[in-house]
Amino acid sequence: MRALLILVVSVWAGIASAQEEVRIALVGLDPDPRFDDAIAYARIETSRQGDPEVAARMAISDLSLLTDARDLTIDLSVMRVAEPGDLVTAARSLADEGARYIILDLPAPEADAVAAALGPDGPLLLNTTAPEDWLRRRCHARMLHTAASDRMIADALIQHFVKMQWQQVLLLHGKTDRDLARAASFTEAAERFRLRIVDTREFDLSTNPALREQNNVALLTGDTRDYDAVFIADSYGEFSRYLPYRTALPRPVVGATGLVPLEWHWSLERFGAPQVNSRFETAIGDSRRMTWQDWSVWIAVRAVLTAEAKSRDRDPDAIEAFLRSDALRLDGSKGAQLSFRPWDNQLRQPILLATANAIIGIAPLEGFLHRTNTLDSLGVDEPEFACD
Amino acid sequence: MLRAFFVALIAATPAMALDTGRIFVSNERSHDVWVFSPDFEHIATIETSRRPRDMRLNADRTLLYVACGDDDVIDIIDVETLEVVDSIPTGPSPEVFAFSPDESLIYVSNEEDSMMEIIEADSRIVIHDVPTGAEPEGVIASEDGATVYVTSEVADMIHVIDTEAGAVIDNIIVGTRPRRFILTPDTNELWVSAELSSEIYIIDRATNEIKEVLQFLPPGFRPEDVTPVGMALTADGSRGYISLGRANHIAVIDGVTHELIDYVLVGRRAWSVALTRDESVAVVANGLSDDITLIDTATLRPIRSIPVGQVPHTVVIDD
Repeated sequence: MRALLILVVSVWAGIASAQEEVRIALVGLDPDPRFDDAIAYARIETSRQGDPEVAARMAISDLSLLTDARDLTIDLSVMRVAEPGDLVTAARSLADEGARYIILDLPAPEADAVAAALGPDGPLLLNTTAPEDWLRRRCHARMLHTAASDRMIADALIQHFVKMQWQQVLLLHGKTDRDLARAASFTEAAERFRLRIVDTREFDLSTNPALREQNNVALLTGDTRDYDAVFIADSYGEFSRYLPYRTALPRPVVGATGLVPLEWHWSLERFGAPQVNSRFETAIGDSRRMTWQDWSVWIAVRAVLTAEAKSRDRDPDAIEAFLRSDALRLDGSKGAQLSFRPWDNQLRQPILLATANAIIGIAPLEGFLHRTNTLDSLGVDEPEFACD
Repeated sequence: MLRAFFVALIAATPAMALDTGRIFVSNERSHDVWVFSPDFEHIATIETSRRPRDMRLNADRTLLYVACGDDDVIDIIDVETLEVVDSIPTGPSPEVFAFSPDESLIYVSNEEDSMMEIIEADSRIVIHDVPTGAEPEGVIASEDGATVYVTSEVADMIHVIDTEAGAVIDNIIVGTRPRRFILTPDTNELWVSAELSSEIYIIDRATNEIKEVLQFLPPGFRPEDVTPVGMALTADGSRGYISLGRANHIAVIDGVTHELIDYVLVGRRAWSVALTRDESVAVVANGLSDDITLIDTATLRPIRSIPVGQVPHTVVIDD
């Protein structure tokens, strides 16, 4: 019988009680090119429909009793910059004003530029909305990632493929960098589990008859060996929304429509998620639901405030060491203890497999194991990871 | 004179306990309470308001109170007739509750609006709304009723509430997602389960300081699989039973030294634990396998599992 009984006496005793301010900044672009309404010609919801600032404020409010008990005052300043070229200056000025943490709501190239400019002595940066794998491989020492990486998202879906024995996949993607990145991550993830991608095809949004092989759904999904499912990478969602039920073979469509892997979805009914959603909906006051970007920002602020409040030592290095350690045991209302992976500074987290109104599965799915932490079955694992 | 004395005595005597020995299991998703005879035969299913969760018997064990999260009420079930006879309105999403020692007050956590309400049982008037951290859950009252402890699942703390003032007088920071409480029979220790940091915190009630942190690891599981929630102690405090959630086991510990005695395999996501009065059987509700597991406390072996409604939450035994 192995008894595990750990004695910790008065863990929280002896913490200084002087009032201390923790400055957090949120930096984004306005307008953000990722959500440009002009990109899609139909008036569909290509944008995330709202600013995640409300999620940052909700995290501060959620933890206010805890931070109050530690005599911490939390100050959030939000800066939206019109020109990407002004971002570095803006981030520098926030750092000069004493921001200890900067939440980045930025596309990957801009997040990368800010991290490179602020360097190893700057404030801690938290990437909340850029899922690109290459940004992890840049290995900025001062950047943590709460947005799930493209590879984590792909691995979550691949686990479902394996479980359902969907072994032959038709891969479709658009022309944008985001679509190519998602397609590449999916291909890598599929290779790890020896799924067969029967063909990789690029779709075209036009109705140009000369491009009918790419814009006609029947042609795009036909004339190929049989497949069990269609995976589509389509960040604008314009092509993919017309894809289900029209494929040449009657097969499920996943990825950007149908079954979509996401960090967060309003229909999650367990782990306290309904309460998080209802607090968000109360806070925002309109009918907007909490998106994955909101969750990413919420969990980033929760992570830093949890570390600030729970670290036994007020020294900033000790707080950061706690934030990066397994002891963080962050609760993201997804039923698992969350912490940052030391090799790529990525928040390990479950990924939801969502349809429009239901959660079909929560990855890691049952049966997918890992030698140290099951959550690390999602994303690039330590032995495979290398900085660029 | 003598006659007057008798009248007063009769008036003060509560209704008699029925000692039915029945086992009650609340089921969140099927919106009912399943009733079992002392030999674990399913004898009734009582439809309740939506999403019944925590349950408590009144002191004379004639009435069973059931917090129903989606209808914002506490239903009252007559233990003899097995019918819902009354409902007490509460704030949004009542989850766990406790009575004051004289049962005149009900302390209930409202998960949705982050309040601990103090409701006068007779008049149904809310006499205090005490703001708590987000998602308050576990509620327990001190033996004298002067203090109520409430967990906030999001703020990772325990609020110590002065019931007279209706105000938080102290906060104790614990592990991630604190859920439920028990008080040791000597009332010196408050135990709190922290679901997502896989710990039981033992708090010294005299100082509100953390005395000890217990961790468990059944063979073949990883620390992150251990998500403790429910706890039960024998009447003499000599032995504790702790549900380990996703680790699908109950940890049996020495109630005084806190040393591990054994792990017992039960169903999926072991949740609430209750002991029969003779303490020969521990009944465990398994949230993800929709059943209860009976454990023989002498041999520490599971006897059998019995299907119940959907998503069993709490087990209460009338004996």
